[in-house]
Amino acid sequence: MAAPAMRPPLSMGGLSRIRMMASTPTAPIHPSFTQRASLSTSSVLLKRHKYVGARDNRDHSKSRGESAMRGTGTRWRLSMSDEPLPRPVPREKLPPIVTDPDHGLWEFFYNRERIVNTPEEDSKHGRAWSVEELRHKSWDDLHRLWWVCVKERNRIATANFERENQKLGFGEAEAAERDKEVLKTMRAIRHVLTERFYLWEDAVELAKKDPEVNLTGEGPAFTPKDYLEEADAVEGAADATKVPEADAATSPDPAAIPSATSTAEAPRL
Amino acid sequence: MASQAVAAAETAIKELPRRFGTKQVFLPKAVVAFLRPKPKQPPNLATFAVPMEFNKLDLRDYLYHAYNVEVLSVRAYIQQPPPERRGGAPQGGRWYRPKSKKFMIAELAKPFVWPEPVPESDREAFDHKIWQKIEDHKERANQRGEKPGHIPLRKDEEREYGVSREREVLKELAKEYLESGEWKGPNSGKWTEVEKELDAEKKQAA
Repeated sequence: MAAPAMRPPLSMGGLSRIRMMASTPTAPIHPSFTQRASLSTSSVLLKRHKYVGARDNRDHSKSRGESAMRGTGTRWRLSMSDEPLPRPVPREKLPPIVTDPDHGLWEFFYNRERIVNTPEEDSKHGRAWSVEELRHKSWDDLHRLWWVCVKERNRIATANFERENQKLGFGEAEAAERDKEVLKTMRAIRHVLTERFYLWEDAVELAKKDPEVNLTGEGPAFTPKDYLEEADAVEGAADATKVPEADAATSPDPAAIPSATSTAEAPRL
Repeated sequence: MASQAVAAAETAIKELPRRFGTKQVFLPKAVVAFLRPKPKQPPNLATFAVPMEFNKLDLRDYLYHAYNVEVLSVRAYIQQPPPERRGGAPQGGRWYRPKSKKFMIAELAKPFVWPEPVPESDREAFDHKIWQKIEDHKERANQRGEKPGHIPLRKDEEREYGVSREREVLKELAKEYLESGEWKGPNSGKWTEVEKELDAEKKQAA
């Protein structure tokens, strides 16, 4: 009620005065300077970008191309902004893929050109390591050899899948023979380690009864009673105190897999 | 450009947070096979066939420690094969379900592109031709086993296997017989033409 009262009175005479001011041309205005669009900064919604290959929608139907029976949606994906959506690039025009020549996954293959060994190459292998040979090896050696075997088995399995998927031909039997030989080596390694474990158990039992051996972990572990052995024992004890330190410094982490340089000497297969 | 990209990838890899399992496995028995990617599979995805007991974390740690391959994420799936019959024969044999297989797709930090497959012409070392022949024969035998009541016509057989040697020889002999009027095939000297002799006897009687 108050607002109209506050408004300044605008008579018909006032209106005509404004019209007169607007219409009286003081100078000719070039048509390009006249305002043609609104002052709004938001983009025009109705003038949309047209996608390449879009159908001409003559009847201006919004649901043109949709089928309730087939459950199809709109033919063209519509975005709120008028910016053209990125189009998929064909495979041939994509830039080449940069790969690492020393990728770790190459270790799954026998060679880089042809993943699968031919039956001839596959059958060229020696025998497995025997238990007797492995008894003389250290834990590190056995561990390295085990990992050589594991990787060889992975290579064989990869080649088997590839041979079957690509329908290359024969070679399954030769690969199986090779795998069997690797398995024999792995079995021998476990055999040797089990033997060692049993020996260690027996040695602990013996040491419990032996008065010369101290199993408490305090003081020297071995104190020989015979005076003839004493002189040697003093030297031996001095050595024994040094050796474990050196070992701890140089021996590799047991959880880590041995390096490839040392594995090169170990494999037989 | 290429070396820069590789270097950038390597520095990014070095900054990744690494968390590994604490259980130490010294003598693993698992066999992991690396499978060729599907034609449209991107190069940063690597497929592996793994033992059923493997989980995603196992594969991640295995690849890092054994192969020095950095993995960003792992997807796993199991393929359950359809039931089969024992003995491989289509008829007979108890139904059983072959063991399922587990596969994992690792998203690699560094992409890996497989070499091209061996072309058909270079498969002589695998005796591809005779292998293919045997495979085709097996396939046909399987198809025949599916429809035991269907006995193929000779022309269908000949279209698949070619004309047999016996039929070719027989055809030649028959042609020769028709031309010369004399049988030269097996048992050629032992036969007597009965009608001919009867005719001769009749003539003599007349």
